[in-house]
Amino acid sequence: MSDDVDLDRVWIGVAAQVWQRRPGPVERAARHLLRSPGLARALVTTPSLLLGWVVATAVVLLAGMLATLGTGTPFVALCAPGIAAAGIAYAYGPGVDPAWELSRSAAVSDRMVLLVRALAVFGLNAALGLAASAASGTATAVTLGWLIPMTAVCALALAAATVARSANVGVAAGLAGWVTTVLSGQIAAGRLTAVVTDSALRLPYLAFAACCAVIVVFATRQNRPRGTT
Amino acid sequence: MNVEIAELTRRFGRTQAVAGVTLELGPGVFGLLGPNGAGKTSLLRMMATVVPPSSGRIRLLGRDPGGYGPRRQIRRRLGYVPQNLGFYPRFTVVEFVEYFALLKEMPAARVSRAVATAVERVGLGDKATAKLRTLSGGMLRRVGIAQAIVNEPDLLLLDEPTAGLDPEQRVAFRALLRDLGQQATVVVSTHLVEDVGAACGRVALMDQGRIAFDGTPDELTARGEGTGAAGDAPLERGYSAVLAQVRS
Repeated sequence: MSDDVDLDRVWIGVAAQVWQRRPGPVERAARHLLRSPGLARALVTTPSLLLGWVVATAVVLLAGMLATLGTGTPFVALCAPGIAAAGIAYAYGPGVDPAWELSRSAAVSDRMVLLVRALAVFGLNAALGLAASAASGTATAVTLGWLIPMTAVCALALAAATVARSANVGVAAGLAGWVTTVLSGQIAAGRLTAVVTDSALRLPYLAFAACCAVIVVFATRQNRPRGTT
Repeated sequence: MNVEIAELTRRFGRTQAVAGVTLELGPGVFGLLGPNGAGKTSLLRMMATVVPPSSGRIRLLGRDPGGYGPRRQIRRRLGYVPQNLGFYPRFTVVEFVEYFALLKEMPAARVSRAVATAVERVGLGDKATAKLRTLSGGMLRRVGIAQAIVNEPDLLLLDEPTAGLDPEQRVAFRALLRDLGQQATVVVSTHLVEDVGAACGRVALMDQGRIAFDGTPDELTARGEGTGAAGDAPLERGYSAVLAQVRS
């Protein structure tokens, strides 16, 4: 046996093999889709995409579905935007990510992490909400009607969470905004569901979502103030 | 030069955290000393590209961090341990270090070996698969150092890296710093003067957002000789003498 075997090097090679973590199917798919292993890992570590959170979301929507079946009132349409807003607020930022400052110094853009996580949380919540809404069978007119309001409420929650650097503030803003909107609809039209059935509101919802998106982009900018070179 | 800073300032509201710092740093270990609130952390955060400066000029690794592309290139070659280093308690040591290796855009094929090397370098091989929530404060600090060195950075920024380490770990860590400083620029912010004396070839002392002293540890020691300045060690007396002189 040769005397000049570098045992440290051999050990590192063995340790690398033994300790190597095999990505799960979701992460592998995300790697393929996003073409960035870092972004894929950031996506699967999203706090509001962890199993417990997803189960809790599904349970609330299931309860909403049962309530809809029992009363005929489309509770799924009314609660889905609020649930999605909470998920979005807990997707990214210093309020939920313990190593947020460290990730801000990493090469993978934190804005891309924000975008990918927000889209994933929104997509999952939309899919769960649509399934619950369709399964409830009633009020088919609002099965899709709440998706646009949900976009606006999620954008509000994301903007508030990003500006205030607090997920709780984001959740509070999203829920407060949605409850206020629903109650305003009740007062103005005499129906709780007016906010998800009135097609005249769709454009204002989208315009509001766009304004919130601009705020998020502004709050996450990393350009330099005047006077620097 | 890996770090070129000229008249750099940073203001947070009415507070002037950094008030016109000029520095040029090449490879080696550079100690940043100063009392609490002197501006060390703010300066380090600007060098880590986490916050932009309010004014002044900064170039890191020959690039301007103001642009997205150059900033991304800098970050690939950067290691950073912030003062308040957060952890994901459900991650293992290897998962945490690997996560940041991926965020630093290391080639995927190199990651597992680089992670193993970094974990072994900080002496955590026997805890590699332990969950972070089960580790002591000193071990967590070493995990933070492992993620910072996993990409073999050309610029390594460490904010109070020895906080929570026991004396034996600190001695090992200083040896690691000296080793890293042979190739890279290592900036260590600390208020532990003995760390600087043992590991740094050059030291700056900050006070009220400005550099009050810039030289070798021996030169700082010399500033305290015969002054009657407070301190148990020669370097501490130099530190106290410089601060007293600046504030008088």
